[in-house]
Amino acid sequence: MVDPDTAIGGAGDRFPSTQLSLLEAAAGALPNEALERVIALYWKPVYAFLRFKWRLDNEAAKDLTQGFFANALERDFFRRFDPAKAGFRTYLRMAVERFAANEYAAGRRQKRGGGVEFAEMEERSDGESPEDVYFREWRRQLFALAIDDLRAHCEASGRLTEWRVFEAYDLADESRPSYADLARRHEIAETSVTNYLAWARRTMRALLTDRLRGVTSGERELREEMRRVWS
Amino acid sequence: MELSDSVLQHLREVVDLPDLSGTRYELESEIGRGGIGVVYAARDRDLDRRVALKVMDAGWAGEARLIARLEHPGIVPVHESGTLPDGRVFYAMKLVAGKRADRYLEDHPSLGERLRVVQRVGEALAYAHSCGVLHRDLKPQNVMVGAFGEVYVMDWGVDGVAGTPAFRAPEGGFDQRSDVFSLGALLQFVLPADAPRALCAISAKAMHADPAARYPDAGAMLADIWRFQEKLAVEAYPESIGERVRRFAKRNEVMLWLLAAYAAVRFFLFFIGTR
Ligand SMILES: Nc1ncnc2c1ncn2[C@@H]1O[C@H](COP(=O)(O)OP(=O)(O)OP(=O)(O)O)[C@@H](O)[C@H]1O
Repeated sequence: MVDPDTAIGGAGDRFPSTQLSLLEAAAGALPNEALERVIALYWKPVYAFLRFKWRLDNEAAKDLTQGFFANALERDFFRRFDPAKAGFRTYLRMAVERFAANEYAAGRRQKRGGGVEFAEMEERSDGESPEDVYFREWRRQLFALAIDDLRAHCEASGRLTEWRVFEAYDLADESRPSYADLARRHEIAETSVTNYLAWARRTMRALLTDRLRGVTSGERELREEMRRVWS
Repeated sequence: MELSDSVLQHLREVVDLPDLSGTRYELESEIGRGGIGVVYAARDRDLDRRVALKVMDAGWAGEARLIARLEHPGIVPVHESGTLPDGRVFYAMKLVAGKRADRYLEDHPSLGERLRVVQRVGEALAYAHSCGVLHRDLKPQNVMVGAFGEVYVMDWGVDGVAGTPAFRAPEGGFDQRSDVFSLGALLQFVLPADAPRALCAISAKAMHADPAARYPDAGAMLADIWRFQEKLAVEAYPESIGERVRRFAKRNEVMLWLLAAYAAVRFFLFFIGTR
């Protein structure tokens, strides 16, 4: 990615949209890049979905996920995607279901070995459906990628203190340090803690939007997905 | 990076919070999320009053300008618009204390009160049309009824993301008549099950599948509702002779009673006279 701070001038660290939408990328000479973006975001949710929906063990789910991304995502996969019918997230999930159903049929034909053992599960005991698990893991992975992007961006632009403050405060799993603690620890003013956190958060939001832009068909779908992320 | 549920939840909250430093507003709480933005209650420090702040992704600044142009008691006044440090845009507007029209109905208002809501909405719509602005997504969720009976139509000119098909004209495009369709659907929505037939006919005419068969504009539909309230014949409803007589009787109730009384007196006098 282009360093946004040098790519555009002006105040406010505003990010340009360097990310092509999925369809632009797939139509152009960039199918590999489009594919990478899809896999980075979708591997974990697809794995979790397969695992819960068909009660697979870890290994079987991994194999099937691997098989899906290796076989199903050819160029044609992107060309057949029609944003008027469904969003990309749903389109991909339906493709996973079709793929798994075919594998299941193949496994039955072979009778033993080879094919995967399936036992379909519609709902978990806590009422969560496989589709809910898919969405939840998709959202988690989206944030995880945006955090990775933020760290890379901080490292590339020499904003290490900003990153450390953000990491210590917003990524704290148990007790959060106070702003005063953070100010002392990094030898900065408390107002800087406030400013650094505000900067890191809005930068992360921009990076997350960019990640989403890369896996949606355009502004409309992007907006819908943003809304889902925060619903 | 493995994210726990609690960290994810925290991030979702803080990453989306608008950074209002450098503005005159202080965030109070989130009111709700719509198709294109989030609405917050905020405090305007300079004027010491509460406002509603709508925060949207860049590219939607047009919405504020569109609404700011519309000055009408049925349209929420916009105070100011601006840009946040992260590039998102916001506008500040009057904070409406009240209920969305769909929730308002849960209090079982009278037929007259229900009609009043539709009339206020229709007036705002007619005004906006006269300014060349279409609503495009009129539905009960976009109408607010205030604590003192004020009615506000929200979300002008924005092609809603999760559109509500029941309130959308079937032809798909947008013009005055597609807004009239939505106004008809709103009327149908607020009418109780035992609503008079003439009112159902008004909403049916407004919602006609053929745009040319609808009321040409919101004003014409309002005029028909007004005729109903004045117990005049409604354009949308060809009534039977019986219904006509009954409506005539109702409208002219006092006069008919007077006539009857007069006839009775004459009758009585006639007998006295001939005795
Ligand atoms: N000025 C206001 N005062 C009080 N509440 C408001 C105001 N404007 C909007 N709201 C409330 O904020 C919430 C979100 O509003 P918003 O206009 O963003 O979306 P929406 O109408 O729900 O959906 P859409 O944008 O898809 O039409 C709604 O519940 C709405 O009633």
